[in-house]
Amino acid sequence: MAIVASAQRGTRRILAGADAWMNRLYGWRFNPLYHSGALVVALLLVVLVTGIYLLFFYRIGAPFASVARITDQVWLGRWIRGLHRYASDAAVVAALVHALRLFAQGRSWGPRTLAWVSGLVLLFTVFICGWTGYVMVWDVQGEVLARAGARLLDVLPIFSEPISRTFVGERPIPGAFFFLNLFAHIAIPIGLGLVVWLHVSRVARPALLPSRKLMWGVIGLLVALSLFWPVAMGPPADLFRLPAPAPFDWFYAFWVPLARPLSTGFVWAVTLAVAAATLLAPLWTRPARAARPPASWVDERLCTGCEQCYQDCPYDAIEMVERTENVKAGASATVARVDAGACVSCGICAGSCAPMGVGPPGRTGRDQLSRVQAFVAARRPGAKDVVIVGCDRGAGGIAAGESFHGALVYPVSCAGSLHTSVIEYLLRAGAGGVLVVSCPARDCWNREGPKWLEQRVYHKREAELRERVDRRRVRLAHAAVGETGGVVAELEAFRALLAELEAAPREAEFDVVRECDTAPEEAAR
Amino acid sequence: MTPLARRTTAIALALGSTLAIGALSRAPYTADRAAHGVVRLAWRARGERVEECRRLTPEELERLPAHMRQEESCEGRVLPYRLQLSIDGARVVDELVQAAGARHDRPLYVYRELTLQPGAHAIAVVFAREGAIPPGEREASEGTPPRLALDTTVALLSRRVLLVTYDDDARRLVLRDGSP
Repeated sequence: MAIVASAQRGTRRILAGADAWMNRLYGWRFNPLYHSGALVVALLLVVLVTGIYLLFFYRIGAPFASVARITDQVWLGRWIRGLHRYASDAAVVAALVHALRLFAQGRSWGPRTLAWVSGLVLLFTVFICGWTGYVMVWDVQGEVLARAGARLLDVLPIFSEPISRTFVGERPIPGAFFFLNLFAHIAIPIGLGLVVWLHVSRVARPALLPSRKLMWGVIGLLVALSLFWPVAMGPPADLFRLPAPAPFDWFYAFWVPLARPLSTGFVWAVTLAVAAATLLAPLWTRPARAARPPASWVDERLCTGCEQCYQDCPYDAIEMVERTENVKAGASATVARVDAGACVSCGICAGSCAPMGVGPPGRTGRDQLSRVQAFVAARRPGAKDVVIVGCDRGAGGIAAGESFHGALVYPVSCAGSLHTSVIEYLLRAGAGGVLVVSCPARDCWNREGPKWLEQRVYHKREAELRERVDRRRVRLAHAAVGETGGVVAELEAFRALLAELEAAPREAEFDVVRECDTAPEEAAR
Repeated sequence: MTPLARRTTAIALALGSTLAIGALSRAPYTADRAAHGVVRLAWRARGERVEECRRLTPEELERLPAHMRQEESCEGRVLPYRLQLSIDGARVVDELVQAAGARHDRPLYVYRELTLQPGAHAIAVVFAREGAIPPGEREASEGTPPRLALDTTVALLSRRVLLVTYDDDARRLVLRDGSP
């Protein structure tokens, strides 16, 4: 397990550098690394649309000739075929980046196991779909892929006749083979849709498509590639000649030269070992039982039935149920209840609850207030001090230190779980300003933290930052873990603004908990 | 980094990544670079099916559903064949070919490929039934002839494949080179 943790750390370090660099070039909104999963869906849609067009011209009776005709004679055929192929290739790249990110961030175990396993099934299915697609062309690459695949399948005791015999040249390749291949190539994408649904079934509001600019930008580049560097036809398959040199698609045929010199048994053993190792990642990437963060819970005495945590939960782990305990006059008819099996302990519900009655143990709003009280008592922020509330997983990686460029650092597990009363407390306790640095919205490990935080601070989303808090002394910023320079810039800009304000008086005595407590009658109103 | 430099780098990276996808999508590969030729032995043969039969006892019949009561029960299998290949007088293949299937009751499949230097070669293939029908068993169907043989000289070209296969209609081994 130490090796796994080390691999995760190493990958995170590489990704941190790559993220920071891409953010600088494209901005976090259009960083393709953040949108890798959604890009896969967008690219598969391109593959689907172009595939439907190509299907009209493909003939199972003359596979190579019909593809050659598509390439040379059909209107837009060469371009559509190129886009079909390039989008399939880009989908593999995006899927691998997506899987790597989730592995590095440890987001593959517990309630996320279903998404991890179904994601791998998706990737495998995409490979199979690509394999059948290249066999359809029946050029040299198609022949080599068909024979290599048949060689592997023939060791399985499930076929009445060795598949390899189809390609010995004893008789023409039967049309039934190309029909079955075409059927698989069409049927598999239908199955893909089902697996995509399964893949996102445990998250609320899944982002299935990337931002429009990024999506059209990527598609535009692939269109340009297919126009200026169209795919070429390899030589036709010939079972009576050794395979001639031909262009190969290494995104789908990478395994052919690896498997060719090895015995089928060894290839199967390696394939199964890799499949098992990746499928079982949820087992060996999960922390030890004692280190696993506990699921959220609801203090039903405080729950007003407002449904805000139910709406904000990024994992649909909270449901509203009929109140059976603490039934008294003025109490809500329903209360929130957490499904521990679906909760990833992100704590976002803690930030969504005005009366501070929900959240992971030790991280509810009330726990956060206790912690910030201790922080203020120990660090005593003054009128000229800025307190940076930094997300552990991003924020330029500054959350590990006690101070940063003269500002006091107050780390939180996720900026989206921050209860706004903590910001209020820091300001009323005398801090000159509070800079909350979250991860970029698309890189939030808990999916929607920065989005909800921004709405609570500026748009009166429930558990909002009270109106009495001077917004000029609060600033929200995004920074990936490798963007320390971005935090410095934000801090300097914030300090410049604060310097123009009069010093805010420190309040001698106040009780935010009491002030934030909402009477059930008031909440019901 | 100036805004212009940043924009230029961003465009260059996007174009570079796109070109990399294009390049990896078409990188040339030769699955077999050698100049040799290949002799491929590949055929499917219906072997001699033999059966061992016995009569079921009344008790055994009683236990079966009425529509499945047949007085005789037969276990069938296909007799193995021995495949021998000699090239230029040297024996390069000598192996027993069992019929496919867990009970060896499926057809016999032969699929072997041998690489040879281009040029003229004397090829002798023998595919002969191994052993006789054991006592107590009986021949159930006539399949491939008990002995098939091909003895010929071929001119093998570089990077070409010669196929030795079984012609079901002519009931003999034949040589094919892909020409119509």
